[in-house]
Amino acid sequence: MKRNGKIRLIKDGKRLDGRKFDELRRIEMKVGVLKRATGSAYVEWGKNKVLAGVYGPRELHPKYLRDPTKALLRCIYNLAPFSVEERKRPGPDRRSIEISKVTTEALNSVVLVERYPNTAIDVFIEILQADAGTRCAGINAAALALADAGIPMRDLVTACAVGKVDGEIVLDLMKEEDNYGECDMPVAITPRKKEVVLLQMDGKLTRDEFKKAYELAIDGAMRICEIQKNALLSSINVDVKGV
Amino acid sequence: MLRIKNNEFVIPGQLIGSRIICDTNCFYENGKVYSAIQGIARVIGNRVIIIPSSGTYVPKEGDIVIGVVKNIMSRNWVIDINSPYTCILKGEEVARDPLNEDIRKYFVVGDIISGKISRVDEVNNSTISGPRKLENGIVIEVNPKRVPRVVGKKRSMLNLIKEKTKSRILVGQNGRIWINDGNIELTIMAIKRIEKEAQTKGLTDRIAKMLEENYNKN
Amino acid sequence: MDIEAYLRRDYIKNLVNQGKRLDGRKFDEFRKIEIENNYVGEKACGSSLINLGNTMVLVGISLDVGEPYPDSPESGVMTTSAELRPLASPYFEAGPPGEEAIEVARVVDRGIRESGAINLEKLFIEENKVWIVFIDIHILDHDGNLIDASGIAAISALLNTKIPKYEDGSVIYGEYSGSLPVTEVPIPCTFAKINDKMLIDPTLDEEYAMDSRLTITTTDTINAMQKGGVGSLSESEVYNAVDMAFEKAKDVRKLL
Repeated sequence: MKRNGKIRLIKDGKRLDGRKFDELRRIEMKVGVLKRATGSAYVEWGKNKVLAGVYGPRELHPKYLRDPTKALLRCIYNLAPFSVEERKRPGPDRRSIEISKVTTEALNSVVLVERYPNTAIDVFIEILQADAGTRCAGINAAALALADAGIPMRDLVTACAVGKVDGEIVLDLMKEEDNYGECDMPVAITPRKKEVVLLQMDGKLTRDEFKKAYELAIDGAMRICEIQKNALLSSINVDVKGV
Repeated sequence: MLRIKNNEFVIPGQLIGSRIICDTNCFYENGKVYSAIQGIARVIGNRVIIIPSSGTYVPKEGDIVIGVVKNIMSRNWVIDINSPYTCILKGEEVARDPLNEDIRKYFVVGDIISGKISRVDEVNNSTISGPRKLENGIVIEVNPKRVPRVVGKKRSMLNLIKEKTKSRILVGQNGRIWINDGNIELTIMAIKRIEKEAQTKGLTDRIAKMLEENYNKN
Repeated sequence: MDIEAYLRRDYIKNLVNQGKRLDGRKFDEFRKIEIENNYVGEKACGSSLINLGNTMVLVGISLDVGEPYPDSPESGVMTTSAELRPLASPYFEAGPPGEEAIEVARVVDRGIRESGAINLEKLFIEENKVWIVFIDIHILDHDGNLIDASGIAAISALLNTKIPKYEDGSVIYGEYSGSLPVTEVPIPCTFAKINDKMLIDPTLDEEYAMDSRLTITTTDTINAMQKGGVGSLSESEVYNAVDMAFEKAKDVRKLL
């Protein structure tokens, strides 16, 4: 996190993009957007454009990875080279590998992997355009894609980030806030019991600030969960006019 | 106590109720029943079943499936049945003396066969029996969970299609459908449309109308 | 061979013998092409999302400042790469590009480079500093003919690419100084040979049924050719394909 005391991120009680402290950016979600993948979802969140695709349960190769008690759930998060202003070299970098790991672990908390022994469930998250909060957008898309694929889960997973910007706790950081703020904390929960399945933080927070941030994150996530549910509900309203 | 209505669309983690019997598309937690998938819930007394919107095919004994021979090993054929689990057609099902015959004279890699799932073990590996080679025609694939809609109650939808297209149609529970003769194009169009609109109302009428219109065209 | 290849291969070959295709197209017909330019408009210098039937490809153009090649010190540089993203097909694996991805990238690159589509001379900044144009092909959904989908999206993206500002030795992303100088519009046209017939824009099922494949990229000249697959092509098949490629490229060009 870079510090830049010169940029004022909050002016007259509003953020750089005009949002209130607890306001989310514009979010749109859609499922069933790919033809080949078993399940898929697309999320637009602020300027983020994220695509998730799921294959599985399917045969797992190589054989030594097979687990006779459950499916192996694997999540890969990838930034397209052109998704960021300064081109990113193709291929997994350390950041993508870490995000892949925590995302896999978050989704593993809900997927009923014991029902599909010896198989693989593969989730691919492609960030097509990135503007802060991609890992949260990715998790939200991945959860929808898993539901779209018919993979049994205990609950959905909903993610949202909070941060501290010019001393204020704010919801859903945009790029400048992520770069120049004092804290960034992505959180993912299972909406039914509000249990945390992903929690990361970097920056500086007092205990009180953390409590405030955490509550704000849960609040934001519950609002996002409604958007996820509506995306699933819309998927059955297909156009019946033509072939 | 039931927390959902009949024909309600449910999502993963949604509470179905307590003291309810539910099918494998649910899970139990602290005495309550929840849906594990997205689909339409059907209530029959105190039983709930969930019609999934999508999912992978897991073999069940008695299912008719359409498979592709993908390998020959130890005098058996390994069959791809569009499932993550192994399916074997034993040499002795077909050959009188599998150990001394070249079983390739019956089926080779790439052959498309229909058969019945005869046994499924505890990790979902299966064997297939009564194999028949499917020659000519075309095999299309649909979401396996939409197969019941393609067949219809008491095969009503399937018969409707067969009547208007005069095609021979073999529906595999694993989502593969073999079509031969008749108006194959129209059959494929009808099946693809049923797959897409499976969870909507009035589908049977729309399909009947579509078949009628195209039947009269020819 | 992918198992699903067996399911419709024979049927498709029989259809071809009757002069028909599974989706009802004529042999010289492209599938429906939908292009959305500036799809990554907030971050990339240029971009284009294409749907060619059910094949979906996103091409992004990024610009950066770097060193020219020693044998052309006053020329910009272009480089093309392609990734068959694993969500595009159950048979694509995560990992570095394999031979299929590399072939797509190199064939698309050839068409753009050899036609002189990008006026690389105009990308000279100062001594030892030129613009580098990165063409990144991101394949998202595979239903055949990745080369044409990628090539068409690539040139469409280039036609809509802006050059970032360059001040005091650094690139100012988000601010632009002009459009990328693009003077040609090379369009690839791929044929699949099935039972001695040449079919334009094969679907994945048709690729499974084909014996060989020929891609021809044209402007007012032929700029790239690539024969793929294991079968052979006759002289007349090649000549006919060349003629048709010129014609079809014109039609596609009108959409851009």
